[in-house]
Amino acid sequence: MDIGELILSTVRMATPILLVALAELYSERAGLVNIGLDGIMSFGALAGFMVCFITGSPFLGILAGAMGGILINMIYAYCTISLCAEQIVYGMAINIFAPAVASFIYRIYFGVSSTLAQDTLMKSIAIPYLKDIPFLGKLLFDQTPMVYFAYLMVVFTAIFFNKTKKGLNYKAVGEYPKAAETLGINVIRQKYVACMICGALAGIGGAYLTTCYVNTYSDGVVAGRGFIALSAVIFGRWSSGGVLLACLLFGFCDALQLRLQIMNTSTPYQLFQMIPYVCTLVALAAFGIKKAGPKANGKPYMREER
Amino acid sequence: MKKVFALVLTLAMALSLAACGAASKPAASASGSAAASGSAAASGYKVAMVCDSSISDGGWGAACYNAMVDAAADLGWETAYSDSVAQSDYASSITSYCDLGYNMIFLPGNQYSDATVQVAKDYPDICFAVLNGAEDLPTDNITSILPNADEIGYMAGALAGLMTKTNVLGFIGGMEIDTTKAKLAGYEAAAKAVNPDITVLSAYAGSFDDTAKGMELANGMLSKNADVFFGDASAVDSGARQAIDTANGDGEIGIYDIGQPADLLGQNPCVICSVVTDNAGMLKLAMQDAQAGSFGNKTIYGSFENGCLSVGAFNDELVSADIQSAYMDFIDQMAAGTFPG
Repeated sequence: MDIGELILSTVRMATPILLVALAELYSERAGLVNIGLDGIMSFGALAGFMVCFITGSPFLGILAGAMGGILINMIYAYCTISLCAEQIVYGMAINIFAPAVASFIYRIYFGVSSTLAQDTLMKSIAIPYLKDIPFLGKLLFDQTPMVYFAYLMVVFTAIFFNKTKKGLNYKAVGEYPKAAETLGINVIRQKYVACMICGALAGIGGAYLTTCYVNTYSDGVVAGRGFIALSAVIFGRWSSGGVLLACLLFGFCDALQLRLQIMNTSTPYQLFQMIPYVCTLVALAAFGIKKAGPKANGKPYMREER
Repeated sequence: MKKVFALVLTLAMALSLAACGAASKPAASASGSAAASGSAAASGYKVAMVCDSSISDGGWGAACYNAMVDAAADLGWETAYSDSVAQSDYASSITSYCDLGYNMIFLPGNQYSDATVQVAKDYPDICFAVLNGAEDLPTDNITSILPNADEIGYMAGALAGLMTKTNVLGFIGGMEIDTTKAKLAGYEAAAKAVNPDITVLSAYAGSFDDTAKGMELANGMLSKNADVFFGDASAVDSGARQAIDTANGDGEIGIYDIGQPADLLGQNPCVICSVVTDNAGMLKLAMQDAQAGSFGNKTIYGSFENGCLSVGAFNDELVSADIQSAYMDFIDQMAAGTFPG
């Protein structure tokens, strides 16, 4: 088996999950469990695809994906933050609502035909000097700009949450909002900001699929990646480094199972398809015993309540 | 003011939820009514399709929907559809079309068999046509429509066997269902009959709409030197074709794909030919039976012999005239029953 190809495939498959897992990390750090990632991704994938198809620019597509993601996530934000509604229920509602809207818009615009609409994909940009590193250089430093963006976001997020005052204030909202409020942090505003970041990143994750990965849009293109990202956050114990490892592990297992399938046609393929999920389950069982998440995660914040 | 806004928002949310829950019910579905187009020569008959994939997937769903629309247009039937229906909602979607007075329900796949049998008992006057249905499925009001999956596999395999230079072929399936297994077996048998040195790599994406998986699977096969591909996985196939196009690059096209079920020539540069299934033709036979009152208790077969399977247009630049004529010889042998032996 070609190891280089396997790593390349791992990076490709892990990137969209990583972007969306970071989205969830920003949301949960402010105490908002958003299980609507799959829905936000679908809408981002559509917005990205359509803008890229019309303008021919994948970068505008990514931007549109981010805007679309924010738009959808504002429904969730208003209901859970201002109306203090149950977060899981509204996350689920987004999962049902957003893909349906996306498919509706696609069909109005493109109609029903057996020919596929195809957009332009983002070109990969090699980083000078780094790409000349033997073996790894070609694999890790000759990717689309979105891949670099995802990995820079991991570093940025780690510094932001651990080394900056703004980041610590941000985390306080997810840990103990009442205490944060008494110290002058605007909890409600912080939570809305969190939802915007979450919507934007999840939308970008969706748009990545249709502007950097595959050049077509079809219903179900997200294929449950939002839920994988959700588990990656828990598995990564709410830290950006952990999330990165979780996403790479899942991407690696998925890339591996596809290759094992091709090599052993006689073994039932379902066995191989289990590998990524079994790995996730085992890892969750091994590392997820002690709860490490934000203390006020999932709880609505009512300012007047004692 | 805030309360009013909240109320409006909650209402919108509730509405959207209700609309989604009811997406399978034709009465509430905007898409369903949009498709119900008036026909020139209205016969008074109505047909509805219930489908689990999207009808705009550029593959199976689209082909089946277009088949229904074409067949209905010829016979002056009205049409309606519900797509992206979850498995748990098959029976209720079918029932609601029955209650709306549709004469025929078209179910494009073997996976609807159980739901069909369950509903068909209660609606003896309504005709149910199950595409790819099993041969033992038909009852008084159920007909199976069965394109010959073996032949589809033979047709693709013979061409792949003639075209390959590396003697490695690729096959990507969606799920391990009977028709896909038959196509794979036929593909392999025909290719090996043409050229005994051939190996066939096969894999399943486990999905019909995860385009990215198709791309990754094709990449994996490309690294094992596969140079002709065939697939049976709707949107997953388009991902595979994208990977093939990328591997071909801007230079000469040396890696090929064979399309199905529609004629896909021109959709991607790598498509050399297609195995075309005329679902409309088969469905039309079922509709005519329904009009004549002779519906049910039989399986309508689609084969090369009765014109429901055919060879699509060739890419003449990539497939030489010699290979085309050698291929058509194999097809003639297949029709005569002597290939692949």
